[in-house]
Amino acid sequence: MEQMVVTPEMKPVTREERRVAVSVIVRVTERPEDLEALYHEYAGVLEDAGLSFEFIFAAPPWADSALAPVSLLAERGSDIRIMRAGQPMGEAFLLRAAAAQCQGAIVLSVPAYFRVVPSAVVDLVRQVERGADVAAAIRSPRRDGWVNRVQSRAFHFLLSHLVGSAFSDVACGVYAIRREALASIPLYGEFFRFLPLLAQREGYRVQEVAAAQHSLDRRVRVHGLGVYLRRLIDILGLFFLLRFTDKPLRFFGLVGSVLAVSGGGILFVLLVQRIGGQGIANRPLLLLASLLVVLGVQAIGLGLIGEIIVHVNATTRRTYRVARSEEDSA
Amino acid sequence: MRGRNSLLSICLESVGYLDLGSRPRCGTAVAELSPSMERQPSLSVVVPVFNEEQSVAPLVAAVTAALAEDGSWELVLVDDGSVDRSVEIARQAAAGDSRVRIVRLARNYGQTAAMQAGFDHARGTIVVSMDGDLQNDPRDIPRLVAELEKGYDLVAGYRERRQDKLVSRKIPSWVANRLIRWITGVSIRDNGCSLKAYRRDILDRMALYSDLHRFIPAVAAATSGARITEIPVRHHARQYGVSKYGLSRIAKVLADLLTIMMIRSFRERPLRLFAAGAAGAVALAVAFAAAAIIAFVFFRPEKGLAVILPAASLLWLELGSYLIMLGLIGEVALREWGRGSTADYFR
Repeated sequence: MEQMVVTPEMKPVTREERRVAVSVIVRVTERPEDLEALYHEYAGVLEDAGLSFEFIFAAPPWADSALAPVSLLAERGSDIRIMRAGQPMGEAFLLRAAAAQCQGAIVLSVPAYFRVVPSAVVDLVRQVERGADVAAAIRSPRRDGWVNRVQSRAFHFLLSHLVGSAFSDVACGVYAIRREALASIPLYGEFFRFLPLLAQREGYRVQEVAAAQHSLDRRVRVHGLGVYLRRLIDILGLFFLLRFTDKPLRFFGLVGSVLAVSGGGILFVLLVQRIGGQGIANRPLLLLASLLVVLGVQAIGLGLIGEIIVHVNATTRRTYRVARSEEDSA
Repeated sequence: MRGRNSLLSICLESVGYLDLGSRPRCGTAVAELSPSMERQPSLSVVVPVFNEEQSVAPLVAAVTAALAEDGSWELVLVDDGSVDRSVEIARQAAAGDSRVRIVRLARNYGQTAAMQAGFDHARGTIVVSMDGDLQNDPRDIPRLVAELEKGYDLVAGYRERRQDKLVSRKIPSWVANRLIRWITGVSIRDNGCSLKAYRRDILDRMALYSDLHRFIPAVAAATSGARITEIPVRHHARQYGVSKYGLSRIAKVLADLLTIMMIRSFRERPLRLFAAGAAGAVALAVAFAAAAIIAFVFFRPEKGLAVILPAASLLWLELGSYLIMLGLIGEVALREWGRGSTADYFR
């Protein structure tokens, strides 16, 4: 009988395959700025700090013009890889795709625009080396105009009240993270924005590191109404995700029973009145009560469907994570 | 860095396990490390610990003393993200005793997850769960195990002379246990007592999430048809620390009960449950429609009369069709379930 033998493919060890300390993932979305300058700024400080690094630019298909200068650098042999998604993909997807390709034990994830002074990223990497799972930059001192600050305040006010976030600059988007931690955080849709929060929920140690704001980050940003609405929806989604993903019926059941019980109460009062001889067929209250009960039952039904989904998946996943081993001598 | 760059330790780190004796079953990747596997203990005592720095040392001592006669056992302390000195003290109390193992969770996940973590890491063929606050008495463990060996899959303890406050603890608990018995059909006097003994294979067949630890017998009965019995156990008043429960859990218990009813009766056929609800809604729609017709035929339809009754009828009709659609979505959610392994469900 012929046995199948799997031999490891003998690839020549190219320069790209050596291990690096830090993989810098640049998420090219929204408003890419001068990427070549960005590369030089970050590469310069990492080099000075004696850290070996690689750059990965993860970009949607439309970003070719912004990528042109760095493509040129890559061709000239810099430590740059460019990943172009074949179709428009969100930032979370780009980040995950790049993380799957990178070699460094530490990932430094930055947006495609200037946020903090470049020297700060070395502090972030050092914090992760010292044992944090995530080191997130917060823009401090912040030298923004008041328009930006008011927006940021409002965003974080909602976050801390709805979600209980204790982070002071989630939206900064510059952070260093252990690659394994990044791989195990469920990232999809718009939730990449809240990575420090999600990491904390997964039980990872998240540390905030003050970093002076970059001078180019200070221009006033006013978005369309749609952007603000979307942020609001993101926060609501996060609220549900963090509190109720394991127990959807708690949420839908509460909403549903409040509606159904109040509707049922009104129906009961109407019934008593009807028995007392009063006509109720011309009372709009009858419609309202019916509507409340209908809505309540619908909400509870949705919660039950949620529970089915959770239950079906429960056997293949665990809701807990064991602490990292080096802290544990057991 | 910590100088740990070998591929193996990176793999293990990423998985979150580096505990050689652990027996993670599923979920994320699994690192099997059989060569260094020690002798398997026959009995595992699982105790979730959350901020119990005063209780943990007496607990370790009490378990060790209670099981002195027994052959091979292990104590799995699951630290549920304590912020006090619980872990440190537990390590000191264990003092190199390899039978005492500590599993540290990355953060506070709650009692259910901690319990599940303990079950996942327990290696014994018999597993006993217990509270970490000394309210249960480890001297009851051998009795539970003896009862289990009579041929049961799960032996629950019930607190015979409960040392708790009447209004805030005993009465809600009495009501809750009645409700649980009625809804789940599992006759357990005291679901709130953590002291229970299980056969390993029962635990392997169920997964705990949310706050289901309160209903382990019901879940075990629903998912694997466990043979269940109960025996009286001792109960001590809480000596140290504060209780982590409050009255607010009543609403949560109600929601969880509904969940268990769902799992128990309709896990394989959600459409039936929703169709039953839809039938009720359609019946109401028909009643309102009939009332509308009667009103139209026999009475001069006033302005309001002409609208409200038909509209109410339509609302209930809408609920009926909505529930049917939800039931269909439920069947969609179950599709993969129907492809899963059935082997686990047989003895």
